[in-house]
This record gives sequence, C-alpha cells and structure tokens, in this order.
Amino acid sequence: MTQAIELSHVTKRFGRHKAVDQLDLAVPEGSIYGFIGPNGSGKTTTLRMILRIYQPDEGSVSVLGSHQGKTADNRLGYLPEERGLYKRMRVGSLLAYYARLKGHYHCREYIDRWLERLGAGDWQKKRIDTLSKGMAQKVQFVAAVAARPRLVILDEPFSGLDPVNMESLREAVLYLREQGTTVVFSTHDMDMAENLCDTIFMIFRGRKVLDGTIEQIQNQYPANRVRVRFADSRLELPALPEIVESEPHGRGFLVTLRDASQTAALLRNLNQHGELHHFEVIRPTLHEVFVRIARPTAQDLVGAAAGPGGSE
Amino acid sequence: MRKILTIADREYRAMVGTRAFLISVTMMPLLMFGGIFAMEMLKNTGEIKDQRIVVIDHSGKFFAPLKMASDQRNRTLDSLREKIADDASHDAGPDGESGEAVANAPETGPTDPAAAGSGESADFGKFTRANRFLLERWDQDQVTDEQLWQLSEQVRNQDLYAFVEIPADIVDAPLPTDIDDLGSWPTIRFYSEDSAFSEARAWLDQVLNAQIRAMRLRSANVDPELVAQASLPVPVRGFGLLEKQTGGSIQDAAEKNELLTIFLPLGVMMLMFMVIFMASQPMLESVLEEKSQRIAEVLLGSANPYQLMTGKLLGTVCGSLTILLIYFLGGWFLASYRGWTEFVPVDMLPWFLGFQVCGVLFFASIFMAVGASVTQLKEAQSMLMPVWLVMMSPLFIWFMVIREPNGPMATWFSFFPPATPTMMMLRMSTDATIPVWQPVVGLLLLVLATAISVYIAARIFRVGLLWQGKTPRLGELVRWAFRG
Repeated sequence: MTQAIELSHVTKRFGRHKAVDQLDLAVPEGSIYGFIGPNGSGKTTTLRMILRIYQPDEGSVSVLGSHQGKTADNRLGYLPEERGLYKRMRVGSLLAYYARLKGHYHCREYIDRWLERLGAGDWQKKRIDTLSKGMAQKVQFVAAVAARPRLVILDEPFSGLDPVNMESLREAVLYLREQGTTVVFSTHDMDMAENLCDTIFMIFRGRKVLDGTIEQIQNQYPANRVRVRFADSRLELPALPEIVESEPHGRGFLVTLRDASQTAALLRNLNQHGELHHFEVIRPTLHEVFVRIARPTAQDLVGAAAGPGGSE
Repeated sequence: MRKILTIADREYRAMVGTRAFLISVTMMPLLMFGGIFAMEMLKNTGEIKDQRIVVIDHSGKFFAPLKMASDQRNRTLDSLREKIADDASHDAGPDGESGEAVANAPETGPTDPAAAGSGESADFGKFTRANRFLLERWDQDQVTDEQLWQLSEQVRNQDLYAFVEIPADIVDAPLPTDIDDLGSWPTIRFYSEDSAFSEARAWLDQVLNAQIRAMRLRSANVDPELVAQASLPVPVRGFGLLEKQTGGSIQDAAEKNELLTIFLPLGVMMLMFMVIFMASQPMLESVLEEKSQRIAEVLLGSANPYQLMTGKLLGTVCGSLTILLIYFLGGWFLASYRGWTEFVPVDMLPWFLGFQVCGVLFFASIFMAVGASVTQLKEAQSMLMPVWLVMMSPLFIWFMVIREPNGPMATWFSFFPPATPTMMMLRMSTDATIPVWQPVVGLLLLVLATAISVYIAARIFRVGLLWQGKTPRLGELVRWAFRG
C-alpha cells in the first residue's frame, strides 16, 4: 500500500529539549490515523513537521511521495486545535481565502457543498466572532478541506463539541476516507479514536510507544481481567491462587488474574466451585492502555518532588 | 507570487475595509490639527465683560490719562460691535454670507494693538472679543497691607477684576547705571487672579509706558510727538527669491506668507507621520491575532514565512498608498475650494512616495517582528516604546527645523533612517534650498536600513510566530535574528 506519510528516524530538538526522538511512522494512503499522547509528548511538533512548518534535525519526512522541503504542500489541509480563524472575517471570505492560499481559486461550489453537508449552508455572510464554538469548529473543518486536500491533518477536531456536532464531524471524516483522502487526527478522546481510526499511533516523551490497529494494540496488553457470575448469586468467590484481587460487579465479580495465561485454570476452578452463568475475559480499552503508559511512575513523582520547591 | 498577492489582498482588505479605518482616517487629522482649529474657534467664544480695575496712583499723574484712554477704548469697542451687528443683520440676506465683514475686517484696518489704547483701532478680528475696562481711582493718600488684602478679597469675590499700584517716583527715579541695579528700579504692580496672561495688564503696560516716555521726554525738553514720528517703524517684508524663466526673463519674487511658511511644512510632516503610523500600527495587531489564534499555523501550512511576510508588507504598503490618496484628494479638494492649489507642493510627490514606502516598510517590519515575539498587546506596547519615541521625535523639534532647515541638527537628524521620512519632507517643504544630494543620500540610507530591518524582522517573525509561552528576552531575539 502507498504511504501518505513516512517518517524515518526523525528527531527534532528545541535548544536542549528533544521534542521528538528517533520517530518512525508510516501512514497508509486513504486511512484514518489517530495520534494520541499526553500533552507535551511531541504530537504537535510531529504534525508541524508533516506540514513542513518545522524541519527535522535528523531523519527524513516524506509526505504524499515528496521529501521534506521548505515549500508548503498544497495537497495538505490542516485544522489547528480550537482556533485558526480570523475573528473579523466572514465565513465565505475566510474559506475562499484559505482555499486560494492552497492554489484553488474557483472553489465556491465545493465550499458551499461542504457547508451544506455540515448544516452550515447559510453561514456564508456570518462573521466568525458571532459563531459559537461548535459552529466555529465546523467552519475550521471546512477550511481544512476547502482546497480538496489529499491529506488532512486535524488537531483535536472533536474537542468542546456537543454529541450532535461530534457525530456530524465524525461522519464528515468518514466521508473523506470514502473519497480516498488520508486523515490524520490527534485526540484525547479515546472512545472516538477507538471507534473511528483504522490505526492508532501513540507518542510519549517524543518516542513512539504504540502503532497499530486497535486489535494489535489490545493484543500487546495482557487480558488479565475476567467478569464472572455464578448461577446461584448467593455463592461467594473462592480464594484461588491465580486471583490477585476481586471486586463485586453487578450480581457477579470482576476478577484480576496474576497472569493472563491463567484464565483456563480459573474457569476450571470456578466450575468446580459452582455452576457458572457468565465468564468473560475483558480486553484492555484504549483508554486503559493510554493511562497505563502515560501515568506518572513513582520515579517521575520523586523527580517532580525534588524539583524547584519540591524540597519544602 | 500568487500566494504573496493573495496574502497582500487579504491584508489590504483587512486594513481598509473596516469601519475602524474610516474612523481613524477621519479622526487622525482632527487629533493632529484639531487643537489649532479648536483654539481658533474658542477664541471667539466666551462672555465679554466689564472689568473693574482700581488704580492706586501714588504719583497722582497717571489716573487721569489712564481713565481717558480706557474710556476712549471702550467707546471704540462699543462702536465696533455696533458696526459688526449692523453688518451681520445687513448681510444675513438670501445669499447667506453673514459674517463676511468680520472675517475680512482685519485686512481693512491697522493691526497695531497699541492703537486700541488711542481708540483708533478698526481691527475687528482682534478686538471684538476684548473686555471693557472700568477704571476707579483709589481715593486715599496711602494704602496699607490690610487694605491691599481687602482689595484682594474683592478680586477673589469677583467684585473687582484687578488693582494696580503705581509708585510715586515712577517718572523721577534716576536711571540705573548698572544692570544689576534694575532690581531696585520702581515697578508698577498689577494684582489679579490671571495677571500673567491678563489683557488688562498688557494694555496698562502699553499705555502707562507711553505716558512715562512722554513725561520723560518733556522733562528733557524734547517734543514727544516729534519722537513718535521719528520712531515710526518701516516694515521689512519677507520675499522669496527671483527666478529666471525659460525665455530668459526674470520673474519677480513673491511675498512670503508667514502662516504658509509654518503650516505647509508642518502639514507635510504630519501627513507623512499619519500615513506611516496608520499603515504600520495595524500590522502589530494583525500578527498578534495570527499568532494568538493559531492562524499562523494554518498560513504556514500554505505559504512559507517569507511569502507570508512579503504579502503582509505588500498589503500594508498598498494600504498606506490608499491613505495618502485619500488625504491628497481631500487636501486638493479643499485647496481648490479655497483657491490655494498653487501652494500644494505637487512636485514633492515622488519624493514623498519614496520616503513613505520605505518608512512604512521600515516600521511595519519592526511591528511585525515585535508582534511575532510577544503574546499580548501590553507586552508589545512596552517593547515598542523606544520605537514610538524615535517615530515621534520629529514632532518635538519641527519648529526648530523650519527655522533653520539647513542647520546641522536638521541636516544630521534627517539622515537618521527612522526619522528620515518625516524630517526630510519637513525640510524639503520649507522655502530653504536643500542640496539635491541630501534627499538622495537620505533615501539611500533609508532603503539600506529598511532592507536590514526587513531581513532581521523576517528571521524573528519566522521563529516568533510559532513561539508560545514567555516573551523572549533581548538575547533570545538577537539569537533568532542571527541564527534563526
């Protein structure tokens, strides 16, 4: 499959700080690729290198087949987080301006169609500063796609949206994929990433820590939790060596195993204890995976405490 | 190139296509020149008063002539006002030219203020708003401090306008032989709440000194009338220089208009300042908005920093040319209406355009760099304080420059690039002959300074536009400028 984006051993430094460290990434053309990572992990820096706003210090960046240069690529569309619009311009003029900057001078109809699709057909004459946050987000989205890009980069496109607007934007992203456009978006909404993305990429402290489909990611993390329920709800959970901890869950129990490979042993032992009505191995959600990776370690906390003011 | 033009087009529309632009184009001349017009208008407002003045004449020689002069002055003022009222009612006909007589009156009579004392004045413009003086004699031989305080209280209570104390030996006191002895020379004391600028004090000064001079001449057996005739001044009128026409004939020099000599250079300088200021200032807000609203990221995803900066500067220059066009057409219309088109210095327009374009580029690039370096307008304003001071410095010294346009200060200051546009135009619009090499060198230096300014600003702009967080220190700005 042709790659829309290829990053190879990319490093970017700001002074002594290494924002991105030896990053490798391949985004297939026509896919929806989710960028996740805690704040300050290097997401925006990576996106800016893809947009050619920044040049990498090491490694190479290839976007839609062309390698890094200082010229902005007209085939890319970009939606920055929350802002990115001239407040005193009118919607129609602003969208036409952004399209013209990408070399599209006759795009009125195309923009109109996108506005219609997002339920904003009559907003052309509205001033940006009169729009609500959700409305502005939709206008930003249209601004990103107004020049018919082959690759669209969306930075937190769903932040601050109500469920209705979120759904219409989700449908718009799926429509882009149908049209063959590659979509890369960063988000903190793990459910949205899990539901929408073909592939998830997680960056943490400038390094890649996850890259793959949701199944591939879940397979990397042990499924060591099991939901169980006896036919006789009065039965207590027996003390078994494979159980680390358990807690009541509805009319049953949520059990954490010492090792994911012990599920068969647990099933056998519980069957001997009483008749089982429900036995389900729970796979880790993306949210859980994210928290496991990004949660501050004891070492981080010690480091933070030893920092300025921490000794007090 | 097309991207540059697209950016320039938006920048231009953002500058001139707003209500704020119309308001500032209208308000700026009002703010700059409004003070002068306001003074002219306020001059003819306010109540005309009868001012009671008590004269404490210890010499006993001055009250009578003073009283006669003040009565004569009051009669003159009264008759002048009656004449104006008659003319106004006569002229307020269908042609609607009422007030013409008042406007033209100063040209019809003598303008020497001393003439008002003798009642011969017909200077309507100057004296129709003058107050009447009602002099009263202090009818006691002596005056104590307590009595002077009581008179002061009357002035404070506005029962009295002022009182004046004339010493007994004012005429007979021996002339001082040493300048250091002037302190002991007898003085006439005028007491009022506004004595520093009092019209009455100025009038008394003239009339009393005329009287004292006449008394001294008489005591020296010299006829005061003879001296007055001999002292009659002959005016020295100011002319320009003669010129030789293409046919070889000599064209006589034109008499210089004093007001035009002052206000034409001032107007040209102000116009340059307004155009540069109004065009450059929006750049700061524009860049700050693009940075704080993260528009810069979208723009830099579509155009490189140099295209972006060039487009923005081009739009700003076009905006400045629009401002100039508006003011030039407005000025020309006004000049045509008043018949002053011959005074409009059209020949200076190419120079003006050259200095204006460079000046706008110079200051707009600085504003752009500062806008890209900070995150808040407040920070930008404090960073720009020195730039404002340099930009406005010609406004503080313009009067000295028009008095001596080829003096060393005016000449050297006009070669200082940030001040060159305003200073050089100020000098060139005076009557002095500025050597041609000076504006040429000034323009070349300005072009060089502008190129350096734009280059450094571009480097700071490129880094600063995506810089978030604390405002960079001067050292960091220097690093951005030289190392990117």
